[in-house]
Amino acid sequence: MKAIAKRWWLGAAVAAFAALPWTLGVYHQHILIVSLFYVMMAASWNLLAGYTGQVSFGHAAFAGIGAYASGILAVKAGVNPWIGVAAGTLLAAVFGFLLGILCLKLGGIYLSLTTLGFSEILHIVINNEYEITRGTMGLQVPGLIAEYSKLAYFYIFLAAALVTLAVVHRLIHANIGLNFRAVQNDERAAAALGVDVVRVRVLAFTVSSALAGMAGALYGHYLLLITPQIPSLDQQFLVLSMTVIGGLGSFAGPIIGAFGLEILSEYIRAYGEYHVLAFGLVALIVARFAPRGVVGIWNGWRARRDLARAAGAAP
Amino acid sequence: MFALALTNGLVIGIVYALTALGVSLVVGIMNVINFAHGEFYILAGYFSYLFAHTLGMDPLAAMLIAVAGVFVLGLVVEYTLIRPTYGDDMYSLILTFILSIVLQSIYLLVFGPYPNKPPGWVKGATDIFGLFFYGNQRLAALGAGVAVIALFFAMLKLTWFGRMIRAASQDREMAELNGIDTTRLNMFGFGLGCALAAAAGVILAPVFPVTPTAGTPIALTAFVCVVLGGMGSMSGCVLGGLVLGVVENLGAAYVSTGYKHLFMFLILILVLLIRPAGLFGRREA
Amino acid sequence: MALLEGHGVSRAFGGVRALDGVDFAVEAGTIVGLIGPNGAGKTTLFNIVAGALAPSQGTVRFDGRQISGLPAYRICRRGIARTFQVTRPFGEMTCLENVAVGIINRHPALGQSEWQDRAAGFLAEVGLEAQARTAAKHLNVIQKKRLEIARALATEPRLLMLDEVLGGLNTQEIQEAVGFIRELRDRRGLTVFWIEHVMGAIMQAAEKVLVLDQGTLLMEGPPAAVVSDPRVVHAYLGD
Repeated sequence: MKAIAKRWWLGAAVAAFAALPWTLGVYHQHILIVSLFYVMMAASWNLLAGYTGQVSFGHAAFAGIGAYASGILAVKAGVNPWIGVAAGTLLAAVFGFLLGILCLKLGGIYLSLTTLGFSEILHIVINNEYEITRGTMGLQVPGLIAEYSKLAYFYIFLAAALVTLAVVHRLIHANIGLNFRAVQNDERAAAALGVDVVRVRVLAFTVSSALAGMAGALYGHYLLLITPQIPSLDQQFLVLSMTVIGGLGSFAGPIIGAFGLEILSEYIRAYGEYHVLAFGLVALIVARFAPRGVVGIWNGWRARRDLARAAGAAP
Repeated sequence: MFALALTNGLVIGIVYALTALGVSLVVGIMNVINFAHGEFYILAGYFSYLFAHTLGMDPLAAMLIAVAGVFVLGLVVEYTLIRPTYGDDMYSLILTFILSIVLQSIYLLVFGPYPNKPPGWVKGATDIFGLFFYGNQRLAALGAGVAVIALFFAMLKLTWFGRMIRAASQDREMAELNGIDTTRLNMFGFGLGCALAAAAGVILAPVFPVTPTAGTPIALTAFVCVVLGGMGSMSGCVLGGLVLGVVENLGAAYVSTGYKHLFMFLILILVLLIRPAGLFGRREA
Repeated sequence: MALLEGHGVSRAFGGVRALDGVDFAVEAGTIVGLIGPNGAGKTTLFNIVAGALAPSQGTVRFDGRQISGLPAYRICRRGIARTFQVTRPFGEMTCLENVAVGIINRHPALGQSEWQDRAAGFLAEVGLEAQARTAAKHLNVIQKKRLEIARALATEPRLLMLDEVLGGLNTQEIQEAVGFIRELRDRRGLTVFWIEHVMGAIMQAAEKVLVLDQGTLLMEGPPAAVVSDPRVVHAYLGD
C-alpha cells in the first residue's frame, strides 16, 4: 500500500513539474532547462562517486565530448542533431570504457588523476584545433527542433532527465547495484564474495560517462553555441558541489543539489564571480561536516525524531 | 636548437621534480593525493610577488617567508580538512579538489586574472659553450632547484624526521607499531609537501609568472611525474620530473608548441599501459 | 587426490620470506586445522589460496585444477569461500544485503524477492535473522563474525576457510560453535580449512592439523599427535 501511494505522489509531482513552465516566463523556463541539465550531470556523476566510490574529474569533459561530437557532426557533415546526440553519447561511452579499462584495475586514485589529465588535454585540443572547434569563440550549432521554443526544449530535457534518473535507479536497485555498494564499502571483501571489482567499476564509469555525453550533447544544441565552458573544470566543480551538497550516494541528493544550486546561482549572479567562491566554501563545509549532504542531514534528523518518539511512546 | 630545448627541459624538469616531490611525500606517508597542490605553488608565487614587489622586501627574504607561509597553511589544511578523512581516500580527493577551486577563485578576486611576476634575482645572460645565450635567472632557478632537492634528500637520509618519513612510507602499520606518532607525522609531512610546492613556485615565478588557474597544469604535471617515477618513490619522481621536462620541451621545439602538455598525457597513458608500477616503482603495492 | 593441494608455496614481502616452500593438502569432507604462533604465515597462506595474494613461487590446486594466480573473485566462483580474521562487513549495507552479494554473484539472474528469501535463510542459519535489516556496522564483533560465515556460505562453497572465528567467545560458546561448524560440514558436505588460536576447539573439531612456524610447515598429523610433539611445544613456548 505504502509503495503504491508513494508512486502516486511521485507521478503527481512530476506532472505538476511538467505543467510548471506554462506559468513561467522565458527566463525562468531557461533556469528550469539548465537545472535539468545539471540533474542529469549530477545524477550520473553520483552513480559513479556515490555508489561505487570512484571520483572522476572528467565528467564535464565527457559532456564536452558529447557536445562537440554532436556539434561538429552537425556543422561539418550536416548530420541530424538527434543522430548527433546519439553519436555523442556513444563516443563518450567509448572514451569512458577505454579510460576505465586503463585505470580502474590500478585503483581509484589513478582514475581521478587520469580523468583530470583527460579534461586538461581536451581543453588543449579544443583550443588548438581552432579551425574545427572555433576555440573560445564557440561553435555555432543548429538546434534540435526547427522552430526554437523554450517550452519544447523543456520537455526534451525533462524526458532526458527522467531517462537518466530511470537508468540510475534501475542500476542501483538491480543486482548489480548491490555489487556497486559492496565494492564501495570494501573491495577486498567484495572480491572474496565473487564480485569482479574491475568489471563493476568499468561498467559504472562507462554508463556514467555516456549519460554525461548525452547531457552535454543536448545542452550544446540548446545553447546553440558550444564553448570550452562546457568541459571546464569550473563546470566539473559545480556538478561535484551539487552532488556533495545535495547528498552523495543518495538518489534524491543530486536532484536537490542541482535545482538548489542552479536557482541560487541565478539569484547571486549579480555578485559576479563570488558565486564560485561561495559554492566552494559551502561545499567544503558540507563535505567536511555533513558528508552525506542535505539528504544525510534530513535522514539523521528523521531518525532522531523517530527515536525520540519511540522513547516517548515507551512506558 | 636541440641544446637550447634540452637546457630549457632541464630547468623546467628540476622544478617539476621539486613539485612532484611534495606530492610523492604526501602519497607516501598518508596515501592522499592533494589536488590543491598546484594552488599552493601559485600561492607562493603570489606571496613572493606581494612581499617583494608591494612591500619592497629583499627577494630572498620574500621567498623564504612565502614558503614558510605556505607551510603553515599546509598544516592548517591538514588539521581542518584532511585529518577527518583518514581511511576514506575518496573524501580527501573531493575535499582537496573543492579546495583547489576555492583557492583559484580567491586568487582571481584578490590578484585579478593578469599574470603576476615577482622580481628576478639576477640580470643578464650567459654564453653556454658558445652555443646560445641563456638567461641568468633561469640558470639561477636551475641551481636553486637542485639545491632544494639536495637539501630535501639530505633531510630524508640524515635526520630523525626523515627516518620517520621513510619508515611510514614503507609500512604505515609497522611505523605505528614502532611508536611513531603518525598523526603528527602526517601533519608535518603534509605541510612539508606544500612547502616543496611553494619552493618550486617561488623559484619559477620570476620566469613564468603566476595566474589564478595556472596551478592545475602544474599539479597535473606533478601527478604524472609521480606515476611515471612510481607511486611513493622519491628518487623515481625526481627522474620522472626531468624526463617530463625534457620530453615536453623537445616536443615543443620539434613537434608543436600548442600541444606541449599533450606529450605529458601520452606519457601517462603509456606508463599506465606498459608499466603501471612506474619506472622505478615496486612491482606490487 | 585431495580437494586442495599446495606445492612449494612461497611468498616474500620485501626481503622477508613469510612462507617458504610449504606443501599441504586438505582432503575432501574433512576439517583441517591450521595453527602456529603469531607471524607464522597462516593468514598469508589463506590469502594465497583465496587469491588475495599471488604466491612468489609454488602452485595451489583446487579439485585438480591450478588456482594460484587467479583473481580472488574467480577463485570464489570455483567454490572457495573465506572469512577474514579482522572482519570486513559492508558496513553501510544491511545484513541481508551483505549476504545477498554472495548469492547474486553465484546466481546473477535471481530476482530480488528470491535472493531476499535465500539471504534470510543463510542469516537464520547463523542466528542473525533478527538483524536482517540492521546495517552491518551496528553489529557487535561476534555478530560480525557470524555474518562473515553467512556471507561465505551464500557463495555456495565446497571449501570453507575460517580465519579465527572463535575470538571473544567463552568456553560454552566455543563448544557450541565447534558443534555448529561440524554440523555445517556434515549437512552441506563441506570441507573446512580452519585457522584458530583456540587450541582446544581445533583439537575437538579437526581430523588433521597443520602446524606452521616461521613460514615453513613444522609438522602435520592428527590433533593428538600434534599437541604432544616436542617441536610444536617448542615453537609455541620457545626455550
